[in-house]
Amino acid sequence: MTTAIKADHICKTYGAEHRALDDVCVDVISGEVLVVMGPSGSGKSTLIRTFNGLEEIDSGELDVLGIKLDNEADPRHVQRIRRRVGMVFQQFNLFPHLSILENITLAPMRVQKQTRVQAEAKARSLLEQMGISEQADKYPAQLSGGQQQRVAIARALALNPEIMLFDEPTSALDPERVKEVLDAMRTLANQGMTMVVVTHELGFAREVADRVLFMDSGRVIESADAKTFFNQAQQERTRKFLNQIN
Amino acid sequence: MRACKALIRHCRFYPIDSVLSLGVIALIIWVLWASISWIVQAADWSVVSSHLPLFASGSYPLDQRWRPLLWISLLAALTLITLIVPIKRGSNRWMGMVLPWCWVFMIPLGLVLMAGGLGLTPVPSRAWGGISLTLLLTVCSAVLALPFGILLALGRTSDLPVLRHSSRLYIDVMRAVPLIAVLFFGKLLIPLFLPMQLEINQVLRAVVAFALFAAAYVAEDVRGGLQAIPETQREAAAVLGLSPLQSLQLVVLPQALRIAIPALTNQAIGLLQNTSLMALLGLVELLGIAQNLLANPAFIGRHLEVYVWLGALYWLFCTAMALLARKIEHSGPTLNGRSA
Ligand SMILES: Nc1ncnc2c1ncn2[C@@H]1O[C@H](COP(=O)(O)OP(=O)(O)OP(=O)(O)O)[C@@H](O)[C@H]1O
Ligand SMILES: [Mg+2]
Repeated sequence: MTTAIKADHICKTYGAEHRALDDVCVDVISGEVLVVMGPSGSGKSTLIRTFNGLEEIDSGELDVLGIKLDNEADPRHVQRIRRRVGMVFQQFNLFPHLSILENITLAPMRVQKQTRVQAEAKARSLLEQMGISEQADKYPAQLSGGQQQRVAIARALALNPEIMLFDEPTSALDPERVKEVLDAMRTLANQGMTMVVVTHELGFAREVADRVLFMDSGRVIESADAKTFFNQAQQERTRKFLNQIN
Repeated sequence: MRACKALIRHCRFYPIDSVLSLGVIALIIWVLWASISWIVQAADWSVVSSHLPLFASGSYPLDQRWRPLLWISLLAALTLITLIVPIKRGSNRWMGMVLPWCWVFMIPLGLVLMAGGLGLTPVPSRAWGGISLTLLLTVCSAVLALPFGILLALGRTSDLPVLRHSSRLYIDVMRAVPLIAVLFFGKLLIPLFLPMQLEINQVLRAVVAFALFAAAYVAEDVRGGLQAIPETQREAAAVLGLSPLQSLQLVVLPQALRIAIPALTNQAIGLLQNTSLMALLGLVELLGIAQNLLANPAFIGRHLEVYVWLGALYWLFCTAMALLARKIEHSGPTLNGRSA
């Protein structure tokens, strides 16, 4: 049981007073799926974005895959961490000027210096795994939201990351498209990927999560294994939230 | 039929509009008729037709005239090919790869053909002229202005205050000064910065001054494109481990430039038209040729023919540029749901 991410009393303030993260402690163990829930503005995105250095922390200690990510972190270290930590955004953020295949092979070819043949073979097998191999030569604007999000997952996986971060990956999708993305994520979890997922999909959390973290106003209110979290939450605030979204 | 009915209805309800419209239409027809009958009957085109090589190449040595002519023909051919061949990405990859390099190759080719060297007799730049000079000035200054303008735009949007302010100062100053002043400064000042012995040629001086001027405008157009790229694109590049430079080169700039194409086309067309200012500095480009011709007493009273011919040539070049730009813009995929 190795620790993939270790956050120790991390704080993050926007502007003068606004505490987006207030003394947060989280451990993510290799191979586990951690689901993060909480109302809007509670700091879920901020937390997950500190894990790959998109946001700098103000105080506390953050250790990702054995590398310290604090405000003195060398930008090149951060860059190296990002090759080992994949991230999927709510809005897909594919590169619209590149074909699907080029979207996926860009980082392997430019960052890992793979050959085109190597990178394309890997990209095609990932597209196959995501169930969208026919889309390889299209452009992002020609795909549905669900397909775009699966491309985004494939793009992140192309670097063979050790951790995958998902920030509300299904929130921008039509309800009937949500399932195809969740299925892809479920497969990934079953393969033993370490995942941190911000989501409000209760079904997915119940079924796939090892642990659930509930946040409010930048604080961790509750952290428990999935079963305990959904059936016997300790905190009043958590139960209220679960009732609201149920 | 429907259109006719709609028109009649419209006339019943808006009588004054209709009278005005009819008047304007009549005026247009009269102007067209007068112009065409002048072009076909009254005008004496011998002043143009007997000097076609002069318009193309100015006072270029007679036995070497094939060089500028060859370059112009190659440019025309390449333009036609580019416009005709379909280059949707993916479907015709080969053409999509080769054509841009052909265009890049046209510039050194033009310089070598005009200046000589590599086995060709050297021809001094003061003998260059006509269409070949106009096109060479335009192409060379555009090619210099684009990278410089991109650098300025990046400086202008940079986080470093020194870079940001100096780029901004440069852009503001250049845009506040009329081009003709920049050209005179270039003519007078650039030699001061260079060692005494080095006599740099007039064309080069003009090209540099032009490029420095145009870069300020290019910078603002590119900045517009850069601002249209959402921050999330940089984030997406960053989380893939791309360095900031790679993110710029592979993700941000390709999109920003695509968005800036219509504005950049305007600049390129403006550049072409502005080369006519070089006639004031003593370069015998297209307008210079026309003026020289008209200074000859034999052609007194032929002003209109020469200027109409000039206008037609500039129109042709500008239209070709606009069509090429549209082709480039449409050859890429759709960005941000905008159909390109
Ligand atoms: N760049 C920023 N500048 C200033 N304040 C910010 C910034 N980003 C986030 N915040 C603030 O920090 C708090 C936490 O934001 P965060 O985006 O992490 O919330 P969230 O839990 O992801 O919410 P949502 O469910 O709406 O995505 C919010 O109050 C937000 O207003
Ligand atoms: Mg969020």
